[in-house]
Amino acid sequence: MSIVALGIIIAIKVVIILAIILGIGAYLTLVERKVAAHIQRRPGPMVVGWHGLLQPLADGIKLLTKEDILPSSANQVLYNLAIIMALVPASLVFAVVPFGPEIHVFGYDIKPILTDVNIGIIMAFAFGSLAVYGVALSGWASNSKYALIGALRKAGIIISYEVVITFAALGPIMLAKSLSTYDIVMAQIHQKVWYIFLQPISFVVFVFALLAETGRVPFDIQEAEAELVTGFTVEYGGMKFGLFPLVEWYVEVLSLSSILTVLYLGGWSPINIPFVGFIDPLFFLGPWSGFIWFIIKVTILFLLVLWLHWTLPRYRIDQITTIAWKVMLPLALFNILITTFIAPLLRG
Amino acid sequence: MIKKVFEKPLNFLETILFLDFIKGMSITIKQAFTKTITTHYPYEKLTPPKRFRGFFGHKTVNGLEPQPAFDEWVERMKIEPRPGQSRCVVCYLCKKACPVPDLFEIDGKKLENGKKVVSVFNMNLMLCTFCGLCVDACPVDCLFQSDIHETASFSRKDAILNLEKLEAIGKSWQDRREHEPDRIWIDDDARQALWRENKLNLKKVDNA
Repeated sequence: MSIVALGIIIAIKVVIILAIILGIGAYLTLVERKVAAHIQRRPGPMVVGWHGLLQPLADGIKLLTKEDILPSSANQVLYNLAIIMALVPASLVFAVVPFGPEIHVFGYDIKPILTDVNIGIIMAFAFGSLAVYGVALSGWASNSKYALIGALRKAGIIISYEVVITFAALGPIMLAKSLSTYDIVMAQIHQKVWYIFLQPISFVVFVFALLAETGRVPFDIQEAEAELVTGFTVEYGGMKFGLFPLVEWYVEVLSLSSILTVLYLGGWSPINIPFVGFIDPLFFLGPWSGFIWFIIKVTILFLLVLWLHWTLPRYRIDQITTIAWKVMLPLALFNILITTFIAPLLRG
Repeated sequence: MIKKVFEKPLNFLETILFLDFIKGMSITIKQAFTKTITTHYPYEKLTPPKRFRGFFGHKTVNGLEPQPAFDEWVERMKIEPRPGQSRCVVCYLCKKACPVPDLFEIDGKKLENGKKVVSVFNMNLMLCTFCGLCVDACPVDCLFQSDIHETASFSRKDAILNLEKLEAIGKSWQDRREHEPDRIWIDDDARQALWRENKLNLKKVDNA
């Protein structure tokens, strides 16, 4: 494969992934509003387009044409840097997400993953940890007490749950004997088992950490609409305001759901019967069925997150950190202990 | 004595199976697949009950005035009752009853035959709290509150009701709802029908 072809392929991958993140991220706002509305027996957006289908565009136009106000006491550099620090790391996680199996297009073997680095999972969690900078900077730069309290809460949550999520992810990593996201999925396919069946504790811990990291209910204490008027975004306006929920509620949920799918639900593999094999009702799609399975899994996870969000009330900040350090972290460590006995039994 | 009430704590099995989560989520998923109960406001509107305290209006002379109060007041204030025009007898009782009397601007004019009619009746609704004390004070059932609740306007001028507007509101009210029996919200059949469209049945209240 020549260097030019490689460059073109990578450029295409970058464009596709960015389009998916930002396009789908914007449309997930509509999905969220519809799901939330129907849970509360409302119809949600109905006016712009058929059943509100053009609502995200209208929202985008509204946010973009709004006046760009900088608070007089804000630190201008950090205020704008915070947006970049929130958006970029969250998007970069998709660099290590494998969307499907290797495919042959125009005589090239293409892995549908931007960079198949051998430390993919660590990269994903590193970028996840970087997200705290966006929040902390926005809280600090806004020079507002609500923003600062919200940012501190979020920082506390992320620091607690970064530890938990990494220890939880150690289980699948030990079973797969690899840190590369692509190899973890391949290991699950070769061992003929999704790791959710071997790692149920770790899975639950990971889902909790996912909710906490993305600021979803029951861990949305940094938003706390009633007390903190949506926390660290309170001094932002226009599209700058729009980007924070977009990143936090949609891009991060998508990226962490993808990582969760890779770690526990076998990535692009079809329905699994543990240790027996895979059943693929979408066999007629050929090599493309993998992509569909990946999309289905991420969609189900996203809807589950929404469902939880619009059902549960929120924990207090002390309850959140208590759960993280006193319940989730011991559980994750216990899971690692069990995994040390299971891992050698698996062939792979 | 303060009685302390705590929720029943979950046992161990319920905790690790997230039973409380599942209970709540089963409720929300059930609600998510039922029909919505909203009114699509600018396109569909609910009719307020007859006793709704909305915009003010002047009922017109149409033969349904409260008797003998109307004839007494007409005689006392030397008013010329004109059919199809406001019943107002320029007694200023509404202004007296109002917590913000400045919002009323009332004046009468003398006709050639020596009798009076109302000539100016302005209400500045920017100051109004829609408390209804003026309506209670009106001795001839002239001033009343209609079911007009969309009070938003583009200028402050529109918030001032003059005699023409008040009479227009009164006439339309008399055409539309004068003959409805005076009911409270919950046993208003017209309203109940609207709720029934949305598949929600409110309990009937026994007023006896």
